[in-house]
Amino acid sequence: MLEVKDIDVYHGDLQALWKVSLQVGKGELVSLIGANGAGKTTIVESVSALLTPVSGCIEFNGVRIDREPTHKVVRLGICLVPEGKGIFPGLSVLENLELGAFIPESRRVRQKTFEFVYLLFPILQSRRKQTAGTLSGGEQQMLAIGRALMSTPKLLMFDEPSLGLAPLVVKNIFKVIQQIRESGVSILLVEQNVRMALGIAQRAYVIENGHIGIEGDAKSLLDDEKIRKAYLGAS
Amino acid sequence: MAQTIVNGINIGALYGLVAVGLSLTFGVMKILNIAHGEFLMLGGYFAFWLFKLIGVDPFLGLPLVAVILFLLGAFFYKILLAGVARLREEIKLKNSLLIGFGLFLIFPQIVKALWSADERAISPVYSGGSFPVLSVRVAYVPFAGVLVALGVILLLHLFLSKTYFGKSVRGTSENWKAAKLMGINVDRTYLITFAVGIALAGMAGVLVGLTQSITPNIGMSWTLKALIVVVLAGIGSIGGAFFAGLILGVVEAVGAIFMGPYTVALGLVIFLLILMFRPQGLFGKG
Repeated sequence: MLEVKDIDVYHGDLQALWKVSLQVGKGELVSLIGANGAGKTTIVESVSALLTPVSGCIEFNGVRIDREPTHKVVRLGICLVPEGKGIFPGLSVLENLELGAFIPESRRVRQKTFEFVYLLFPILQSRRKQTAGTLSGGEQQMLAIGRALMSTPKLLMFDEPSLGLAPLVVKNIFKVIQQIRESGVSILLVEQNVRMALGIAQRAYVIENGHIGIEGDAKSLLDDEKIRKAYLGAS
Repeated sequence: MAQTIVNGINIGALYGLVAVGLSLTFGVMKILNIAHGEFLMLGGYFAFWLFKLIGVDPFLGLPLVAVILFLLGAFFYKILLAGVARLREEIKLKNSLLIGFGLFLIFPQIVKALWSADERAISPVYSGGSFPVLSVRVAYVPFAGVLVALGVILLLHLFLSKTYFGKSVRGTSENWKAAKLMGINVDRTYLITFAVGIALAGMAGVLVGLTQSITPNIGMSWTLKALIVVVLAGIGSIGGAFFAGLILGVVEAVGAIFMGPYTVALGLVIFLLILMFRPQGLFGKG
C-alpha cells in the first residue's frame, strides 16, 4: 500500500534521512521506533508531504505522492496525527471534527464517520461544544485522532500518540488504535514507547540516526537482544 | 456632545471596516499589508469613476467595487506574496513589509499620472441631506455608511462561523500545519482571505469617497489608522476590530473638541498606551 523507496530528506541544509525505505501493507499495523532525533517524525512528515525528499520516491497504491501537495495526499487517503496533537485550540471540538472531514470525499459521509468517532471516544460527543484548547491532554489526543478519522483515511499515521499522557490514558489510546485497525484502516505508528509499539504491531522498523537499522516481525524484535539492550533497558 | 458622538460613530464605522480587512490578513496569514490603504484609495477611485462616467450610484456599485478589488487582491497576492507566505515567520514579515512599501510607493504615482492629484468626492443627489433624531442631525450618507459597514461585518462573521470554508480560514490562522493535514488547501485559503481583506478595504474606500474625499495619497494614513485599530482590538479578533474602530472614532471626535489640529496624535498615543499596558489589545487572544 505505502512504499517509501530510498528517500533522502533534508531539514534546510541538514540531512535527516539517508536512503530510507519502508512499506506498509493493506490492513497492517507497522511500528517505527527509534531514539529522539533519529528521524521518525521526518519520515511521516515526508509521507504527508510536509517535507519533500531530495531523492528517492514515495508511492501509495502505485501512485507517486512525494511531489504532491499535502492536501492531495490527504485526498488519496493518508492522514497523519502529528506530534503535538495538531488541533485548532480556539475552535470547538465539533468544529475541529468537522474540519477533519474537510475534503469532499469525507464531507459527504461525515455523519457516519461522526458515529464511529463518537463510538470510539464518547467524551468527544459530550464535550463537542467545548473549546478545544480547554480539553485535557488526553482528551486533546483523542480529538486529534478523531479528526484524523473524519478524513476517512486508508492509511493512518501516528506520531508519538503516547507523549505526555498518563499510563491509563495511553492504554486506552492503544486499544483504540487496534480498534481502528480492525475497522480496516492500515496504520503506521511512530512511538517512543517501544514495548507498546512492538506489542500491537505486526512488523516494525528501527531507525537510527536517519538510517533504517533493523526491520522485521514485531514479536521477534521484542525478543531481540540488541533491541532489549538499547530500548527496553534489559540486560 | 451627542452630535459629536454621532459623528464619531460615523467615522468609527469606517475605521472599523478598514481595520477588519487588515485584521483578516494579518491574523490569518501573519502578513502585514502596508499597502492596505492603497487599495482603499483604489476602491474610492473606481466608485468615483463608475459614478461620474456611467452614473452608477455608489451604494449600488459597492458589490461591483468589492468584486473588482477582490480580483485585484487575488492578482497581487498571486504574483507578489504567494512565495512569501511559505517563508518562516520573521523573514515573511520583513519581506511582506518591503513588498507593501513598494506598492505604497508605486500606486499613488500611477494614480496621479492617470487621474491627476485633484481631490475627488462622490456626491450623489442625496449627499447633503440629513434627518433629525432627538437633538441630533443624522446625515443620510454617513448613516448609510455605518449601516453598510455593519452589514458587511455581520456577513463576514456569519461566513467565518457558519460556512465550512470560513471555519477552515479560522483553523488555518491557528495552525496551518494541522490545516494542511486535514486536506485544507492552505495556499488557496490564504489567497482568498487576502482577496477578501482587500475587497473590504475597497468598500471602505467607497464610503470614504462619499463622506470625505479621495486623493492619490490618502492610502498610508488609512493604513496607519487601520493598524492602530487592529492593535487596539488585539490581533486575531476580527469582530473586535470593528468595535475598536467605533471606539477610536468616538474618542477622536470627542478629543477634537479639546485638541483641535492635534487630534491626529490621539490615535498614536492610544497606540502607544495599548502596546505598553495591554499589548494583547482590548479583545485580543494573547
